Amino acid sequence: MNKKRVTRLAEYFFTVWVIVTLNFLLPRAMPGDPFLYLSSDVGEEVIFSEEQRQYYLAYYGLDRPVGGQYLSYMSELLRGNLGHSLYYNEPVSHIILRRLAWTFFLVIAAVILSTFIGTVLGSISAWYREKWLDKFLFFNLIIMSEIPAFLLGLVLLFSFAAGLGLFPLSGAMTHFAGYENWWEKVLDILHHAFLPVIALTIARTGGMYLLSRNSVITVLEKDYLRTARAKGLSEKRVIFRHVLRNAMLPIVTRVFLSLGSLVGGAILVENVFAYPGLGHLMREAVMVRDYPLIQGIFLVVTICVLLANFIADFIYGKLDPRVNDYSETYGG
Amino acid sequence: MPRKHLLIILVLVISASLLLFGCGSDQTRDDQNAGVASEEQGQVDVIRLEGGDWGYPSPYAHYPRGPGGFKMALIFDGLLERGEKGLIPWLAEKYEIKDNGKQYLFTIRDGVKWHDGKPFTAEDVKFTFEYASKHPMVWSDIGSDDIEKVESVGDRQVLVTVSEPNASMLYNLGQTRIIPKHIWENVDHPKEFTGPEAVTGTGPYRLTDYNKEHGTYRFEAFGDFWGPVQKVKVIEFIPVSEPVLAFEKGEIDLTGVSPDVLPRFQNNPAYKVVQSPGFWGYRLLFNMGDYPVLRHKELRQAISYAIDAQELINKVERGAAVPGSAGILPPDHVMYNSNVKQYNLNLKKAKDLLARLGYDRLDEKGICQNKDGKKLSFTLSVPDRAVRMAEVLQEQLAKAGIEIKVQSADTKTHDARVRNNEYQLAVLGHGGWGNDPDYLRERFGGLFKGGISPSASGLQGYNNQELNDLLEKQCLEMDEQKRKQLIFKIQEILAEDVPEIPLYYTTGYSVYRPDKYDGWMFMFDHHSLTHSKLSYLERD
Amino acid sequence: MAGVLKLLLKPIKTIKKFSLLGKTSFIVILLILLVAIFAPCISIHPYNVSSGPPLSPPGGEHPLGTDELGIDLWAQICYGARVSLLVGFLTALLAALGGGLIGIVSGYLGGWTDKILMRIIDIMIVLPDLPVMIVMAAFFGPSLLNIILVLALFSWVFPARIVRSQVLMLKEQGYIKSAETYGAGAWYLIHRHFLPEVFPLVAVNMVRLTGRAVVAEAGLSFLGLGDPTSKSWGLIMHHAINFAGIYFTPFWKWWLLYPWLALTLMVISLAFISRELEKMADPRMGR
Repeated sequence: MNKKRVTRLAEYFFTVWVIVTLNFLLPRAMPGDPFLYLSSDVGEEVIFSEEQRQYYLAYYGLDRPVGGQYLSYMSELLRGNLGHSLYYNEPVSHIILRRLAWTFFLVIAAVILSTFIGTVLGSISAWYREKWLDKFLFFNLIIMSEIPAFLLGLVLLFSFAAGLGLFPLSGAMTHFAGYENWWEKVLDILHHAFLPVIALTIARTGGMYLLSRNSVITVLEKDYLRTARAKGLSEKRVIFRHVLRNAMLPIVTRVFLSLGSLVGGAILVENVFAYPGLGHLMREAVMVRDYPLIQGIFLVVTICVLLANFIADFIYGKLDPRVNDYSETYGG
Repeated sequence: MPRKHLLIILVLVISASLLLFGCGSDQTRDDQNAGVASEEQGQVDVIRLEGGDWGYPSPYAHYPRGPGGFKMALIFDGLLERGEKGLIPWLAEKYEIKDNGKQYLFTIRDGVKWHDGKPFTAEDVKFTFEYASKHPMVWSDIGSDDIEKVESVGDRQVLVTVSEPNASMLYNLGQTRIIPKHIWENVDHPKEFTGPEAVTGTGPYRLTDYNKEHGTYRFEAFGDFWGPVQKVKVIEFIPVSEPVLAFEKGEIDLTGVSPDVLPRFQNNPAYKVVQSPGFWGYRLLFNMGDYPVLRHKELRQAISYAIDAQELINKVERGAAVPGSAGILPPDHVMYNSNVKQYNLNLKKAKDLLARLGYDRLDEKGICQNKDGKKLSFTLSVPDRAVRMAEVLQEQLAKAGIEIKVQSADTKTHDARVRNNEYQLAVLGHGGWGNDPDYLRERFGGLFKGGISPSASGLQGYNNQELNDLLEKQCLEMDEQKRKQLIFKIQEILAEDVPEIPLYYTTGYSVYRPDKYDGWMFMFDHHSLTHSKLSYLERD
Repeated sequence: MAGVLKLLLKPIKTIKKFSLLGKTSFIVILLILLVAIFAPCISIHPYNVSSGPPLSPPGGEHPLGTDELGIDLWAQICYGARVSLLVGFLTALLAALGGGLIGIVSGYLGGWTDKILMRIIDIMIVLPDLPVMIVMAAFFGPSLLNIILVLALFSWVFPARIVRSQVLMLKEQGYIKSAETYGAGAWYLIHRHFLPEVFPLVAVNMVRLTGRAVVAEAGLSFLGLGDPTSKSWGLIMHHAINFAGIYFTPFWKWWLLYPWLALTLMVISLAFISRELEKMADPRMGR
């Protein structure tokens, strides 16, 4: 058992190494040059001379051989230094840390909401299995679950924000607003986050719903439940004590395993709402070829997803000794 | 029993979340009366403009984009500034060009103070030029070998000796932002020097607040400013999600609007709509070095005749642009020659010119070919945002029998392609068309000498001796009027030769409330009201 | 002849077993397919050349209106269906072929090959696909072929895992073992025993992969990283949403809405079909 865990850990480290190396190579293989400015954005002037380009290439060590760059990248990384952004002129870790908070906020809010709503609706559905309520929920939720989050986001943006004007069109908060108290600020942030979170939540809820419906049904069919009921335990207790607790395992695992695809959804949704999270930043970074920033974001995102997987692995191993390949059938 | 509970919980949760979010929508802020115009000569306390993070406004730390640089310019002065008609004396009271443009003698204004109270001296100017030669500023106007030496003559004069005489040097020297010696002399990594003292300048405004995360800036009028009175006491840049909405709500005081949104503001005395001069443009490049067929002047002219610039403008820019002038310099340029040959849409002329080159028959798809079966088919490289334009060009050129295949890439990749001459035809869009006409020499002078970027993409396979001579001559001509004559002649040659086709120059719209503040102006070579420092100062 | 007929009848029988939702989805996909195939016939106007005033609302000559260049939207959507289907199908095919092959090799050979391949698959599964795709799309350049390749690169792991586990299971079956002892070669085994067993599973998975690829292509195009000359639905939306002042004009009511509708319908239908098929292939799933 212990040896197995060590191998598992070694495997994770190998994965991290591959990702870090890929991470180093990919941006460098992209065509284009971070300091080449022939075009400028509409209505803008860029003044950047060839001499400056050379100066900056040397300044950031981008004119050195790739091998040397790789070594220094790795050693800096081990010391926790993600480098200095070429465009934003600031340590990459600072930029990412600030943006990460917004993305986390969206993702976590969506996870909590979708898990909660999905589980509740799933349990209801399972309880009333084959009744009209179950059919109604099932039909609606699977339709919603199949629409990608960014397409949902577009609808929400144009109907509620642009059309009805109920929500802001973009951004995460109002600036220079001079909030009177923290409560107002929280409301403002929630107001901005509402549509993106809803888009991500709706796209997510269907999956959680199906999963919890399935596991609750499975548990409901188990013998010990029949025994429990036969013993005369109240319905409420049956549900909370036995059903939900036993059905929770796949749900929790699923929550962690699904973070990877949720990140993908969040990137697109952030771009729909111009929400200042990592996804939005990533697109900007790719557009201006800010190598250190692209690398940093990519690394942070993958490590987070990896971590989530690790936790899922761990929880699953802990809760259920019969670890098997459960995830893949439901993954994606 | 349990169904009741579940339902109740559900209802509670939903209504709670609705309440929570619903409240958010009706919150309004009532701080718009902060900037009510004071009676005195159209002065105003606070002007709010669209923000966004453009970097720390030091000459080394701002992002290489317009909004970043012009914020920096509120804090830092140049020896000369860009006025409404041309360069005006600023930190330099007067200047003298000596030795046929080899030397420049600037006389420094007296009694100028840095924001920290220390006096500004000729020594600072000398230091700046030397420092900027070693560490190019983000907006570097001078290269490391442009300046031979800088000497201070007495307390109030600086003598700059340039390596080679060039008429655009005055502009470049004048535009260089002067930084204080006592702060910068020990700074080795200027790009990472972002402390509060890094934004000590002599300019009319001091930075009093900057928040990178939110992209907010606050500038306050500098009390000891040597020059004209600041009519705007405080300038605040606040990020807005949608500028037009923010402007309508009064959150910001000026905004750019697209033509389709214009009707909201037109014919309303509360608003004033201004159209910008066209100093931002797209041009069509020919790779004459690698594709000999493009070296035929007739082919390039034929392409010019086949392009309907007005249709491009109507469709791609929704009308907010002016057609390109074949003489390259835009109509709003101070040295624009309005009498050069122009190529308005004329398919007959285009076809005649092609026939003269031997492309006198059409294949089954309607593409011109010559008797050897060689077809007029080109790949057009465009940055991804110009792909719509490429589609229109494709359609237009097809009518003249020229086939276009569109190849598009993101801006960075596209730039790299153009730079490495990996294209046949390419569209490039950038600003700076209002700059000193010496950019014509950088574009068409045959030799790639480096220089300021947007123009300096190098042009291969094109060589016109008469043009080269004129281009060399104009940069040595220090007399404004005589130089203008040369530039006029150059435009004529360019219009005849068509080494590239300027497609159009965009002229966006800005709208503001004249009641609030009406002091906006354009610099003679720039297209943004808010970028102009003089917009905030008293002028006569 | 009878064999062909049987082959044709099989899918029809499968579809007959679909639920109402599945049948509707199938009809929608069929319609989109027809639209894509007959795009030149059913669109009156050209899809790449302007044919009317810019941004005219739906009705009259342009049933779905025009975009800012005056190009008919209906024609663009018809041709966009081609792009979306092509990207989806080719990606799925490529991924199924590659993944299937890798799965068979991995499962059949076992040992180190299997270990290494499984490790790669694990890495691929952990990598969040969209960020990598964004970087890769920028890296390879935005042509349709590259998009397909990049998408396939991220899709092959699913069929590979399915095929591998199936092969592992089959390997233990008595008849394969006896075939092996009779000296059946690897190729024979794969050809005669593995492929027929594995094929239906991969085919079912391909439907899901197609849906994924369609969404991914639309996402990339929407971000401006797709093929800008391809006229896919995602690209039409990209142009619409980047139009200056789109929020303040009524243009989005057709320019954005119709491609959105087409895309959503297609994605949902594909998902339902694959759900039905998966249910048939493995009744434990999706009760």
